[in-house]
Amino acid sequence: MAETICRTLRDGSLEGEQSPALTIKDSLQSPLGSHVFDHFLSTLVSHISAGKSQASGLVLVAFDRSPSFYLDLFKTKGLDASLVDKSVRILDCYSDPLGWKDRLLHSTNAEESILKGSGTVFKNVRDVNKLLSSILDLGKGFTGEGKVRFAVAIDLVSIMLRHVSLPSVAGFLNNLRSNDQISCIFWLIHSDLHEPRASAALEYISTMVASLEPMMQSSDGQGTSGSLLWLEENSCKAKFHVRLKRCNGRVKLLYEELHTEQAGIRFEAASSVRTIVNQNLLPRVQFNLQLSDKERVDRARVVLPFEHQGNGEAIQIYDGRRSLSEGQKDPYLMQPSAFSHKMNTQTNNEKGEIHYIRDSDDERPDSDEDPDDDLDI
Amino acid sequence: MATAKDPNLRPIRTSSSFSRNPSAPSVAAPSPPVPGVKPGPSGAAFVSSGIPDLDKILGGGFLLGSVVMVMEDADAPHHLLLLRNFMSQGIVHRQPLLFASPAKDPRAFLGTLPSPVSSSKEERQRAPGLDPDAKDKEKGLRIAWQYKKYFGERQVPELHDRGIEQDFCSDFDLRKPLERQMFRAQQIDCISIQDSANLAVLREHCSTFLSNLSRNDGGNVNAGRIAIQSLCAPQCGYSEMDWDMVSFVRSLRAMIRSSNAVAVITFPTSVLSPSFSKRWQHLADTLLSVRAIPDEDKELAKLLTGYQDMVGLLHVHKVAQINTQVPVILEATTFSLKMQKRRSLILERLNQAPVDASSGTSYATSGGCSGSSKGSPLDF
Repeated sequence: MAETICRTLRDGSLEGEQSPALTIKDSLQSPLGSHVFDHFLSTLVSHISAGKSQASGLVLVAFDRSPSFYLDLFKTKGLDASLVDKSVRILDCYSDPLGWKDRLLHSTNAEESILKGSGTVFKNVRDVNKLLSSILDLGKGFTGEGKVRFAVAIDLVSIMLRHVSLPSVAGFLNNLRSNDQISCIFWLIHSDLHEPRASAALEYISTMVASLEPMMQSSDGQGTSGSLLWLEENSCKAKFHVRLKRCNGRVKLLYEELHTEQAGIRFEAASSVRTIVNQNLLPRVQFNLQLSDKERVDRARVVLPFEHQGNGEAIQIYDGRRSLSEGQKDPYLMQPSAFSHKMNTQTNNEKGEIHYIRDSDDERPDSDEDPDDDLDI
Repeated sequence: MATAKDPNLRPIRTSSSFSRNPSAPSVAAPSPPVPGVKPGPSGAAFVSSGIPDLDKILGGGFLLGSVVMVMEDADAPHHLLLLRNFMSQGIVHRQPLLFASPAKDPRAFLGTLPSPVSSSKEERQRAPGLDPDAKDKEKGLRIAWQYKKYFGERQVPELHDRGIEQDFCSDFDLRKPLERQMFRAQQIDCISIQDSANLAVLREHCSTFLSNLSRNDGGNVNAGRIAIQSLCAPQCGYSEMDWDMVSFVRSLRAMIRSSNAVAVITFPTSVLSPSFSKRWQHLADTLLSVRAIPDEDKELAKLLTGYQDMVGLLHVHKVAQINTQVPVILEATTFSLKMQKRRSLILERLNQAPVDASSGTSYATSGGCSGSSKGSPLDF
């Protein structure tokens, strides 16, 4: 549930442990990832401004959208501008990620880069170490009582992966996670912009994975051709799957539906409840054949339908009826498997005798079945 | 002849044709036993994995000279449990240890190693799990055949050597960390592999470590342990160099074959491409995998007994066989990892819960096309 995620982000990390990390994953077929990101971002910022979260501030690394977009976003969500100012710092990697404007400045004396109030322009996204230190520097600016921790939100890791290699990005995120000033961290990726390996690597590093899937799967691979209905459905609704790695080593799988609305998005409990059973789990599960003590005692007490109960008593045959009367004796030495045939004849007399000749006794040795034929001498 | 006077030869006078005499100073075992190393059949030697159940499952422990690989699950850190027990066992037995991990400070991991429990009654209570069957067998056998003699011989040392069994594999208390002084007297190397651009550094370390443990030196060389955590983790600099990683594991395997050491390597399979994941799996002598289980899964709780206590699952894919052509065939390959009293790790076979007849689950409909929307997980 989205609530669980918001709560986990708000509560942040425990002492001595790495901070929780969330990956939001979407694809072209269900492109609502940025809405989800905005939702979590604004919820967390509101928690931070209200002082309810472990983090005292948030550093937003904006690759995909400009800082002004985010400031407008916070305004529309009803967050007070001054509070936002105090608790959010935006690292602007959108305006000039590779520092080209500086080079242009030399030649044309174009407009200077304007440093916005809460945004610092970062000009060298290829240098991951510098990015890390800028984030930490921005984070140091937050004040608070006790140990100051801050949250980090990265707009689009897919853009980072465009500039630097996967191990660098993975190392960068890992360093952020293990830094003890960070309370929580979350990021968005578009999964079809990378090889599956990159998504797998990012999922490996994170503790929560929220993935968006289209409401209606398309039959052909392309997905864009086809019904208008499909397009319409998928652009305003999606399935929201969450996989949480819990600290007891188990995985929690949650599922919700996502609807877009005027003011943002809304999460709804799934209309059709599907349990996700781990199909590839147990090829062979044995039955527990060990008996507990009680079971062992009970077993010793069962009266068997044999002649000898094995305990030295007189021969008694239990024919399956309730009463075990003493007089019913039958002096025949049949095997218990054929017992049921003869039950009916026991009805009357105590001294009855039954002569029975086993079928196998009057069989002639069948010449076709000479057992010695099996020997290959 | 000199045979009568020669104390090294035994007179062959017993009635049975062959009698196994473990105390004979024959050429088979020239050196006194090294602590922590158990001899096995076909000239193999075992070291303990630190988990008594795992040793039993694998037929004695980890084979010296083999590479054990553990496939991690991206969702759960159970491979760390295996690594911790392995490393602690090595430290308890004073075996040199090399530890490599992608963390910035691998030494910090040493602080999480469990310390062995001093023998208490509880262990004796668990250990009889192996013995009452043996005792029952002795009583119940009434076959007039002389093999009982040999059984008696073999089992009596087992009962007496339970103390020695404990020495081979200690029971670890996962709540108590290992005492610091054990680290000081030890040769423990820790390496961080996160920032290495390639694996040359790690390979250097491994080869210097293993050169001291070469098997060709006669005499008594202590066994060594190498533990590598998350070798292909995405934050390591070389993690995109697939072929280099494969060749590193192969060269490590070759180095280990000729030395008295065991390497345990854990790797997350999800970050490797499928073909390379298969290659890594084939490089292992012993292959285990750990898997997470879903939380609060009612289906699973109905299916298995003891679901509440389970931490995860362990699957044994391959067991090492060196110097023998007889493969180890296990009765069961999937085990559940449980924490007994939150303290020690035990592995148990999975037991199916009794089927509730009234619920009408899909056990009965194990045909190909079942009407239910979800297939039974037991369909096979």
